[in-house]
Amino acid sequence: MEFLRRYCRDRMGVFFGLILLFLYVVALTAQWITPSDPFKINLRAGFEPPSAEHWFGTDQFGRDMLSRVILATQVTAKVTGLAILFALISGVPIGMFVGYRGGWIESVVMRMTDMLLIFPTIMLAIVVVAVAGASENGVILALGLSQFPQFIRIARGVTLSVKEELYVEASIAAGSGWFHILVHHIWPNIATPIIVQATLTLPVFVLNASALSYLGLGVQPPTPEWGQMLNEAKDFLLPSPYLIVGPAIALFLFVLSANMVGDTFQETLNPKLKKRK
Amino acid sequence: MLRLIVNRILFMIPAGLLLLTFLFALFHIIPGDPAHLLAGDNATLEVIQSIEKEYGFDQPVHVQYMKYMAKVLQGDFGVSNYTRDPVTDSVIPRIYNTFLLAVLSMLFAMIMSLVLGCTSAMYWNRPLDRIVTVFSLIGICTPVFVTGILGIYFFSIYLDWLPIGGMATWQHFVLPVITLGTYQAAILTRMVRSCMVDALGKDFITTARAKGVSEFVVVFKHALRNALLPIVTLFGLGLGHTLGGSVVTESIFNWPGLGRLMVQSILTRDLPITQGALFFFAMIFIIVNLVVDIIYAWVDPRIKYD
Repeated sequence: MEFLRRYCRDRMGVFFGLILLFLYVVALTAQWITPSDPFKINLRAGFEPPSAEHWFGTDQFGRDMLSRVILATQVTAKVTGLAILFALISGVPIGMFVGYRGGWIESVVMRMTDMLLIFPTIMLAIVVVAVAGASENGVILALGLSQFPQFIRIARGVTLSVKEELYVEASIAAGSGWFHILVHHIWPNIATPIIVQATLTLPVFVLNASALSYLGLGVQPPTPEWGQMLNEAKDFLLPSPYLIVGPAIALFLFVLSANMVGDTFQETLNPKLKKRK
Repeated sequence: MLRLIVNRILFMIPAGLLLLTFLFALFHIIPGDPAHLLAGDNATLEVIQSIEKEYGFDQPVHVQYMKYMAKVLQGDFGVSNYTRDPVTDSVIPRIYNTFLLAVLSMLFAMIMSLVLGCTSAMYWNRPLDRIVTVFSLIGICTPVFVTGILGIYFFSIYLDWLPIGGMATWQHFVLPVITLGTYQAAILTRMVRSCMVDALGKDFITTARAKGVSEFVVVFKHALRNALLPIVTLFGLGLGHTLGGSVVTESIFNWPGLGRLMVQSILTRDLPITQGALFFFAMIFIIVNLVVDIIYAWVDPRIKYD
């Protein structure tokens, strides 16, 4: 509650937080709020410019663009959410473990994360997709794996500083094992930086998920995805430029609000950052 | 300094070997059946078996690995599944095209971000600063392919000034370089601004102003020189990101580069090309990283790498 109150002091943060909330509500209720069936093909109604009936027009197959943009919101929210969850679940325990244990395991794991961090997210994601195949699950795996070194590093960093604390020493003296210490003493300290990292990762994932499907390596048609819709719209830029409006605005809005919420989150949790700005 | 360079170059040999092993493992062990992957989902048993035989997938893994490494170390990455041309013939000319695009975009981004970031810091918290900040935020949140499509629509279709894609004349460079560069510039402007705001808050700036030095000299000589170290670091990182972003940009503008080749080879399941393109791409990243490390050591002699 205290956190929420401090968060609400930032008016921009609240404004974009509400937009993000709205997008997630749209994502959750997508099946019920689409004005028409996003998969229904009606070739005779293809390439209709925006009208009261079809706000963003219809695509080459006569499918309502607004309905497809709405359904794509759900696809993006699902894919990015699961990818963050995957990165978190796979990265944080490894980071905590190697940070606490130290020794050669730590050097090997950290060397490997250093090497992975040389490569940009999109490159790592493309490698994973090349192996796992272009599909929704492929994208989740690709994004998750490309960012999990970040989570390993953060979890390890916090673990390294916390394990020197007196209460950890006391706990060891009282006879608790490493698992107990990780869960009861180290994890509570890690939660905050991990939440910040997760919110900062969200816009990165949204951008990369749509870039992958723009390249044809992501979510496959007929499932709508903003990047893939833009790729299709690019072929009809001359006759029907309005096709890019819907997906481009939705994508921009999602990334913008996720970025702003991430920044505000970070400032709320570390007030020191704000002063510097 | 020389020792650092030699050390780092020697480090590249195991890194390259590791990379090759990784690429081998990626396509031979993890997905189960590489012949299946090559043949596609609806292939008959005979097709799969003939592929297995041709590529040697029916041999034990360690034999395959030794053969692969021996061939690759002699510069033989195999032949494309479709054109039957050697992989190196299609990959190597494209390295130059990708590098040219990335370097020009990075130059554009560096100039833009230095000018905008410094002006923004000069007019800190005033309307001009706000405008720059808002624009850089918009730039960060707009994916490269949206900027690219909008650019194509306005400059190639609506105004008919610039070509849609390809790489022949200087006009072909304008849209891709600006598209890729703008995104980087937006990210870098934000960071240059905060470095400059930090530097402008230091005591020696107050001293310089008290001496009566003009504001221009204060910003571009006193502050910029002191903010340069973190900025050089940022630019180093930025070049890596630009190379990554070139994959998407090349696909938008049909740029004959390494990234587009890689994406197409994945889409057409041209495994040897994918492996070759990935190897050279990764080596470029490792080399860029090396060069950036050496530049840091040169710019800041306090840095010692062991």
